[in-house]
This record gives sequence, C-alpha cells and structure tokens, in this order.
Amino acid sequence: MSRFSGVLQLTDLDDFITPSQECIKPVKIEKTGTSTGAKISIQEDGSYFEIENDGQMQKLQKVEITLSDCLACSGCITSAESVLVTQQSQEELFKVFEENKKLYKEGKDSETKLIIVSVSIQPVLSLAVRYNLSPNEAAARLAGFFRHLGADMVVDMTAAENLALLESQKEFVRRYTSARNDGIKNILPMLASSCPGWVCYAEKTHGNFILPYISTTKSPQQIMGSLIKSWVSEMYGGRPIYHITVMPCYDKKLEAARADFFNETTQSRDVDCVITGIELEQMLQAEGLSLNSMEKAGYSEPWSKANTTSLPVLKRHIGSGSGGYADHILRYTAKELFGIDFEDFHYKNLRNPDFREVILENDGKILLRFAIANGFRNIQNLVQKLKRGKSNYDYVEVMACPSGCLNGGAQIRPQADTTLKELTSKLESLYDSLPIEVPENCKIVQELYKSWLLGHDSDKANAVLHTEYHAVEKMNTALNIKW
Amino acid sequence: MGKLDLCETLSKHVGRVWNVAWHPKGDAFASCGEDKTIRIWAKEGNKWVNKIVLADGHKRTIRSVAWSPCGNYLASASFDATTAIWDKKSGEFECNATLEGHENEVKSVAWSKSGNLLATCSRDKSVWVWEVAEEDEYECAAVLNAHTQDVKKVIWHPNTDILASASYDNTIKLFKEDPSDNDWVSVATLTSHDSTVWSIAFDSSGTRLASCSDDNTVKIWQEYAPNNPEGVPTVDNESTWKCVSTISGYHTRTIYDISWCHLTGLIVTACADDTIRILKEDQESDRNAPNFSCVSSTERSHSQDVNCVAWNPVVSGLLASCSDDGNIKLWSYME
Repeated sequence: MSRFSGVLQLTDLDDFITPSQECIKPVKIEKTGTSTGAKISIQEDGSYFEIENDGQMQKLQKVEITLSDCLACSGCITSAESVLVTQQSQEELFKVFEENKKLYKEGKDSETKLIIVSVSIQPVLSLAVRYNLSPNEAAARLAGFFRHLGADMVVDMTAAENLALLESQKEFVRRYTSARNDGIKNILPMLASSCPGWVCYAEKTHGNFILPYISTTKSPQQIMGSLIKSWVSEMYGGRPIYHITVMPCYDKKLEAARADFFNETTQSRDVDCVITGIELEQMLQAEGLSLNSMEKAGYSEPWSKANTTSLPVLKRHIGSGSGGYADHILRYTAKELFGIDFEDFHYKNLRNPDFREVILENDGKILLRFAIANGFRNIQNLVQKLKRGKSNYDYVEVMACPSGCLNGGAQIRPQADTTLKELTSKLESLYDSLPIEVPENCKIVQELYKSWLLGHDSDKANAVLHTEYHAVEKMNTALNIKW
Repeated sequence: MGKLDLCETLSKHVGRVWNVAWHPKGDAFASCGEDKTIRIWAKEGNKWVNKIVLADGHKRTIRSVAWSPCGNYLASASFDATTAIWDKKSGEFECNATLEGHENEVKSVAWSKSGNLLATCSRDKSVWVWEVAEEDEYECAAVLNAHTQDVKKVIWHPNTDILASASYDNTIKLFKEDPSDNDWVSVATLTSHDSTVWSIAFDSSGTRLASCSDDNTVKIWQEYAPNNPEGVPTVDNESTWKCVSTISGYHTRTIYDISWCHLTGLIVTACADDTIRILKEDQESDRNAPNFSCVSSTERSHSQDVNCVAWNPVVSGLLASCSDDGNIKLWSYME
C-alpha cells in the first residue's frame, strides 16, 4: 500500500512501461571522449565500459535520477518510490546517526553535525494511539527515542505552524482587498498551500491555471526548515545541521526535495530527511523497542538564547486537524476587515463530510465564503468549478487526504480491531482535547519576527516565509507518445 | 443448436469500431470508434440508417458510448481523457458537459439504473463515480484507486447502485457507497481469471455476473448474500461473489466482450478469433454449479477482432456487433 496521498497515486501514470523505462529526463554525462563514435563494451555484471582508441577501457558512469529531477518532470514521477526511499528513509536516518556517533568516538567533534528533529502534532497523536499513551507522554518518549538514536535536539513545530498561520492570514487579507477594491483577477479563492500532495498535483495537472490561486505562504515544514537552517544555524556559528522532520505523510518528502527549498548558503536542503509515523513504528520495531519503554526527554528551543529543554506540553490550533487554516483566516479577516468577532460558527457539510463550507453574513449580505475540501474527489470538484467559473469561495483549505492531515497517508495504520474511520475519529477527539495555541499570543514568534525576520512584512519575512510554484510542462516528445 | 442470421452490415465508420450501445427503447443504437465520431442509427423500414453523426466531441479515439436509462442522454468515453455528455434538449444532439479528471485514456462509461450516477474508468487505473448534480452539472463522487492496472470496463448492477469494474490486473471489483460519509468503497474483489478481464455483464436479477478474459474463458459468478442457505461465508455483512462456472474450450483467443440478455438469459461473446458465440445455460442447471453450452458459433462473423456485442434490450434475439474490420453487423438469433 502506498503511503502517498491518493492524489499522487493517481498522477502515477503508466501501466505498461515501468518508470525507469519511461524516464525521459535528459541527463548530462561527464564524458572524456573522442569526437568520433565510441565502442562500448558491456561486462558480464552489466556495467558499461567505453573502449578508447588506444584500447584502454573506461567505466561509464551510471545515470542517476534524483527526486528533484522527478519533481521537475512530467513523466512518471511519484511511482519512483525507490528514488525516495534511498534519500529519505529510516535507513538513511540510521546511517546519519551512526556516522555522527563514529565521529564523536574518534574525537572528530568538529566534523560532526548538529542533528535536530522537528516534530509535528499529527504523527505524535498517531503514536499516542498506537502505544496507548497520552499525547504529552508520547511526545516525551518520542523525543527520548530520538535522543537515544543520537539526535542533539528535538523541537516542537508549533512556532513554524504559527508563522504559517499568521502569514496566511495576512496574505488572504491582501488578496481579498486587491480583488475587491482593485478588481485584481485570479487571486481569489485563495487555496491552501500546506499540503504538498495537492500542490504537486496542481503543478503537474492544472499548472498555470490553478497556481495563482495557491497561497504563497510556505508550509510549516518548510518554515521550520528555514528557521533551523538559517536562523538556528547562525546561532550555532554556522555549524552544519542535519534537519529531520516528523510528518503525517509521504508527500512531505516530495516537498522537502523541491529545488525551492535548497539552501545555497549551507549547500543542503532545509529539511534533510522526512520521517513519518509508520516509519517510526518500523524503526522502533527494528530496534526491538516499544515507545512505552523509552526514557522521556524534553523539547528544546534552539531559537532562543537560553535554549531551555522541557517536557513537551502539546497544543493544538483551533479548527481542523490539518492546521486550522480556514478557521484562523476567517476569524482574522472578519475582525480585520469587518470588525466582526466571528467566533462561534459551524461548517455545513456539502455533498460529503469532506467538503464543508461556512459563510460570514452581515445584514443578509455574504461577506466571506470559506470551505474545507479534503480528499481527491473534492479537489476535483473544486478545480472543475473553478475552471467553469462557478466557484464563489474566498478561501478553501485544501488537503489531499480524506479527513485531512490527522488521516495522513503515512500515519500508523489501525490495529486489527479498529477501522480507519474509528481511528480517525479517535485522533480527532484526541486533537480536540489539547489546549489551544493562539498564534498571535506566541512569544517565540514575536521574537522571531523581530530578531530573525527583521519585522513583520519585511523583505526578509516575505523572502523567508513565502515560496513560489512552477507549472510542469507536459512533455511532447516522440518518446512520450501514448498509443 | 440455434442459428445466428446476419441481417445487415453497416460500413460507415472509418477504421475500427469499438463499441455499440442500444437505446433503452431498442429502436436505435449508437456506435463509436477510431474515427472519433459517434453515429446514431435507427430503423427506417427494414434498413438501419445512420441518422446522426457526432464529430468534434473528442480529440482522440472514442472507446465507449452509453445511453442514460431515460434515453435522453448519451455519454461517450474517449482516449483524450474526457467523457462527454450529449443530449438533444435544443432539438439537435449537442455536447453539454465534459467530465475531466482522468489522467489518460478513458476506457468505458456506464449509467446507473437511476440515471443519477455515472461511472468511468481509465488506463490511469482509477474508476470514477460521477453524480448528476443539476442541469448539465456533474460532480465527482469518488475516485477509486482499487485496481493496480488499467481498468477496461465499468458496468452498473441492473437494480441497485452497485458498480462493477474489470481490469488488466485480472480482477473484477465491486463498489458501493458507504452512507456514513458518502464515499465509495470496494466491497468485493473477484479473482479467478488468469489474465486481463476485458468485459463483464450482469444477468437480469443482478445476482449473477459473467466475465470474459484474455485467458480465453468465460466465468460465471454467483452472489451469496449474508446468511445464505448454502452456507457460503460472508465478511462484514457484504455478499460473497463466488466463481461457480468456468466456460473454457470454446474460445481460442482473447474474449473482448460479453452481453447477457435480460430477456432470454442467453450470453453472447465477442472474440479475437473473429467468432461470435452464444452460450446457453443447460435446463437442469444447478445455480451453485451451472452448466453452459455453446449453442451457436459464427466463425468469421467479422474479418477481424470482434470488439463488442450487445443484445437488444427489447427485441429478443436481436444482436449488434462491431469489429476492427470497420463494420457494424446486426444479427438475429433463433433457437
């Protein structure tokens, strides 16, 4: 079973040709060669040697396709799970931890990396249910597991989630006012950008038509990436950092591999490795451990000078378990633009419970129309409505997985006696039981705007917290003709 | 033995003809093919006449056509990845809706009994359920990624909203709606064929399904509801579908299509050996182990692969077929 969201399973194309055969990515091969034709000899082990004029043999390099190549291509893409697995797997993670340990042992401390793990809320809840722990205990023991493996710090992603929410709120108000006051087209509805499955599908399938609607605000994972790889890295005197995130779906691995999130200064990705609930379960099993028996450890705060470590106290955001984007933006906008305290509202289910809408009305006039669309069928209907000019939404929180991120594609599967639906509702009620985090009241975030981002809406804030999307051109080469 | 008589040969399409679909009233049918046209045929006197040609609807081969149960709408599925819905509200047949979403070639389209649902399937391995929302508005109700390969055919149960699909992955899957969240789920996977399942057909009761395959066999599947008297075990309160008969030895090549007559109970098959065969259930056949015999075999019925066969829904024994040879043929079967 694939751990990608259904959206990406669909864009996985072919039935007759294996991905490798269909791969049409032109690859530059470093070749020292003659201008005339070369002889190539194939060895018994399948390796290729070029026979040069003087009879010498030179081994030809194997072409390697990276995940970034795949993302930029309209060919086979995500079926190349093997590409992913080598770059973003638990094996890779174990390798990094082992290398670091070895360097410490050999006294080569200066060559070691600072290993930081950023944890999002959904996989922690998934682990909590799986190992029958309270959310805080699951987080503490997960932190303990990573420390046991050799991580230097385990950190909470809430700060990055807060930044993503605050930036999305401001972005929406900007779009709304330019659309309403200046008649700017193709900026409403604003569509959520935090789900990489949805973004990848939009880029590959609907390209330039849909991309202007997608919020430019980076996802929490990538904001966290910037925070760790630029700000925290700076605080630690530029010491190389290996950054791991713990996320609810495989699609996040694709996001981490995007060229947009490669840090030129550190020559590394903002997120080096994404690990998911289902993989953590496997890692624990591989080590012969249960999460219940791990020592508890605290979450660190490397972005503050004090860098205190304390046992996790998990919080949630108001609204959906996918980050609560629709709720936050709606409340903020109602207050900001219309002076309305819109606190107590309910979503109305449309065709199915995964397509819900909420309307802010005043004096019988509709001011704001928001929706949450989860799962591929609802993405389809949303996109088709937009294409036919029949969408009247101002904002849509779009997530590729049915029920959103709590039911992410790589959350731990239900145990034998429960159904997926029961598990999802369990995760939802667990999420709802957590105390509420209000992004505006977060001291860390205010401090980061001041010290790291040089103020709200500064050029730096815009550069660091926002990104862009790229339509993937359909290839029309003869090789790609489908009969 | 019965006798299959050729009534008429219709040669208007250019290139292979993929599919013929009878109008529910039985007095007309639609055909489609490689020439990217849909042709609608009706009887004038003793002759079948091509009344309407619908071109410009699709950019590539049209693989499948289906009439809505009310007979007012025609759906066409094309290799251009779209499904078009045609109607003649304006007096003339026009395409008034296009269903987009499949990644590549759409292979088959079918309307549910109620006419409120439409199913399509594609080489992208997915099966889609569409809901008729309002006037010319179709909403995607489900995208089903249950198959692991190209999906060749979708059909609806004759009485209830159960969907069946046949695939290159050698299986047949049944789907129905889960009322708790209106999502569609696979409720049964029918495995027994050794190769691609090309087509499937329900009998008139919907408790039996016939399938035809690249493995040169026809299989009959029987539904066993929960608590069935035969004691066949069921899971999660869903019916079990069991293969109760494998009809082999008659077909020498891939069987591309199958039609189960709801009037006579006769099964007809379209085969790559250019033969049309009619299968009849033996008189004292046991439902749990039925026996079917070939009662008619028309060799060289077409000069190339027979792609589709369809029993007329109103006139007993009237059969339409089409082939790679570019022809549509009308046949009459007599016991």
